[in-house]
Amino acid sequence: MSRVTAASKGLASCHLCQKVASVELDKCPRCGTALHSRKSNSLNRTLALLCTATILYIPANICPIMITDQLGSSIESTILGGVVLLIQMDSIPVAAIIFIASVMVPVGKLLSLFYLCWTVKFGSSVSSRQRTIAYRITELIGKWSMIDVFVVSILVALVQIGKVLVIRPGIASIAFAALVIVTMIAAEGFDPRLFWDKEEENHD
Amino acid sequence: MTDIAKPTIDKRNRLSVIWIIPLVALALGLWMVVDKKMSEGPVIQVSFKTAEGIVAAKTKVKYLNVEVGQVEAISLNDSMDGVLASVRIDHDAKHLLYQDTQFWVVRARVGAGNISGLSTLLGGAYLELSPGQKKATHFEYVGLETPPLTPAGADGIKLNLYSEHAASVSTGDAVLYNGYKVGRVEGMGFDETQRLVHYDLFIDAPYDQLVNDSVRFWNVSGISVNASAGGIDIKTGSLDTILLGGVAFRLPDGAEAGAPVENGADFKLYDSYAALQEQPYEYSLEYVVQFSQSLRGLLPGAPVEYRGIPIGSVTRIMTTELLADPEEQRGAAIPVLIKIEPGRLGLADTLESVNLIKQSLTESVPQGLRASLETGSIITGSLFINIDYYDGVSSAELGEYDQYSLIPSVETGFARIEQQLSDFLTKVNALPIEQTMQNFDGMVTSMTELMESVDEFLNDRNTQNLSAEMTATLKDVRKILGGLSPDGQIFQSIEGSVSKINQTLYNLDELTRTLSDKPNALILPTNFPSDPLPGANH
Repeated sequence: MSRVTAASKGLASCHLCQKVASVELDKCPRCGTALHSRKSNSLNRTLALLCTATILYIPANICPIMITDQLGSSIESTILGGVVLLIQMDSIPVAAIIFIASVMVPVGKLLSLFYLCWTVKFGSSVSSRQRTIAYRITELIGKWSMIDVFVVSILVALVQIGKVLVIRPGIASIAFAALVIVTMIAAEGFDPRLFWDKEEENHD
Repeated sequence: MTDIAKPTIDKRNRLSVIWIIPLVALALGLWMVVDKKMSEGPVIQVSFKTAEGIVAAKTKVKYLNVEVGQVEAISLNDSMDGVLASVRIDHDAKHLLYQDTQFWVVRARVGAGNISGLSTLLGGAYLELSPGQKKATHFEYVGLETPPLTPAGADGIKLNLYSEHAASVSTGDAVLYNGYKVGRVEGMGFDETQRLVHYDLFIDAPYDQLVNDSVRFWNVSGISVNASAGGIDIKTGSLDTILLGGVAFRLPDGAEAGAPVENGADFKLYDSYAALQEQPYEYSLEYVVQFSQSLRGLLPGAPVEYRGIPIGSVTRIMTTELLADPEEQRGAAIPVLIKIEPGRLGLADTLESVNLIKQSLTESVPQGLRASLETGSIITGSLFINIDYYDGVSSAELGEYDQYSLIPSVETGFARIEQQLSDFLTKVNALPIEQTMQNFDGMVTSMTELMESVDEFLNDRNTQNLSAEMTATLKDVRKILGGLSPDGQIFQSIEGSVSKINQTLYNLDELTRTLSDKPNALILPTNFPSDPLPGANH
């Protein structure tokens, strides 16, 4: 026997004022917002944004994120190049932070969201509860990727010493910032309730 | 619970509008990649001797200090004796690539005359290019080790100077016209086949108009000190030519401007202005003169004169030709090669003047024009060749010797004097000196006898008494003269007679005046009018 859910009763919670009302009303009787049982077109939206983020990930890593003009000669550094440089300079902790924030987190977030979307579509042996935890972690850490963009923007703002040393942002910083924003929207657009819908569908 | 209708779930698998976002991102990305590939210019290969200062993926290529490319990679060349730089030139700068485009590394350079490229001390070296003019077919270039002094395509004229030995002129030195810098020495090299030192000159526009085929170039490096009877003459150029050397040019005195020269014209570099003045003429005729006498003192460069006017110089004594000729007999006349320059005679330094002189000489030789060896200085024994008309010479025409024309010669000057002196001495030798001396001896003996007779006569007693008699005679004469003195009786009586004659003559004078006034005065009495008195009539 299936559990009683709002959806199964034909009820939906208003996105804005959280009032539970019948889906058939179309509009929240309290605040007039459109009523949806689930986030509309959630899976498509999330997947599309994930694909955008994947495309953005390529220039974010190939192009220079930071250009250092030092005494007339300019040095272009990419994210991974910076990590390698930091390791060579024996700054392992800093290198680890950069690596985690700039490589592991975005990649992990992309992979985890792709996995979650896949499970919604085709079902999974992993319990809905665990997948929800995975979703929560993804949503939580996602914003921390911006640390790299912040570092670059602070450096650009601070280090402007005439002709001696100037730091300019590279094209990758824009791509990377876009990547983080897009993945955040993707995570936001994902509706974890779809896990249970799928489960119930399977039970039926 | 079951009466509640299940919500209808729209299972339509339609493509959401949201998929436009990744498509746009993809399209943007692809467009960026394609645009970057499209905007990439060609990759060219530039070879250098060393990669000093060139860093792959960092060293820029600049033209007029605008970035037009970047060195992508540096590798050793196949023969491992140089480096090959792969340079990507920007798409919008690829029209700068020509066949003769020049590349060189700009780095800090400290030269004797200038310091350049200081900015590269901080920013690092970069490649500079200078576009050429010829259309490119391939993109492989040989980089220059030093920057070209004149940008390719600059307005002006390129000239080649040649010199028999390396003067103190070097790359970068100034080219001066009347002391003003109008160009520079771009390069130098030694041509081992011609054994000449070559200099590449560039004269900036508009001064290239000053160059024509009559101008002469000379080395103005350093200080020229000339001590002569006129004092000490010190000639210097500007300070930088003293320190660094330089080349000057101008029209020779009295010469007219010639035709404009083309790019790459050849000129001779004279060692000094003095050397130039000695050999200011380009066109000359060569003749051979043969002499049987000694040529000691006849040096190459000795003047050839026509009645004292220098018309040329001795080029060399043709000993090699003399020895090479098997038909020459022992003691044959020695041929001397001379050079006659029409320019020295005030004619234009052209081929026409040469032909004129040639024709004139051919016509003049049958009329008695001959060459002779003359002594220029008795002290140094230096000789020169004089050309003049001589009377009484056997008729001759312009001959041939080797490939040159031969001017017949006569023996004159010192050689002739020598001959005459020799003849004179022979005649002197033939004179009857012995007999003359004997006659002279006899004459001297007679003379001695005569002198002895005179001496005897003087020592005679009568001759000695003659003096005393002479004294007595003189005393008598004085006595006679003493009677005639004013105190003497005779003198007084003569004086009395003279005063009486004077008295008589006075009276006679009075008588004649009376008679001339009144001829009848001898018969009638005379009435003289009374003397007039002033104011008596009033």
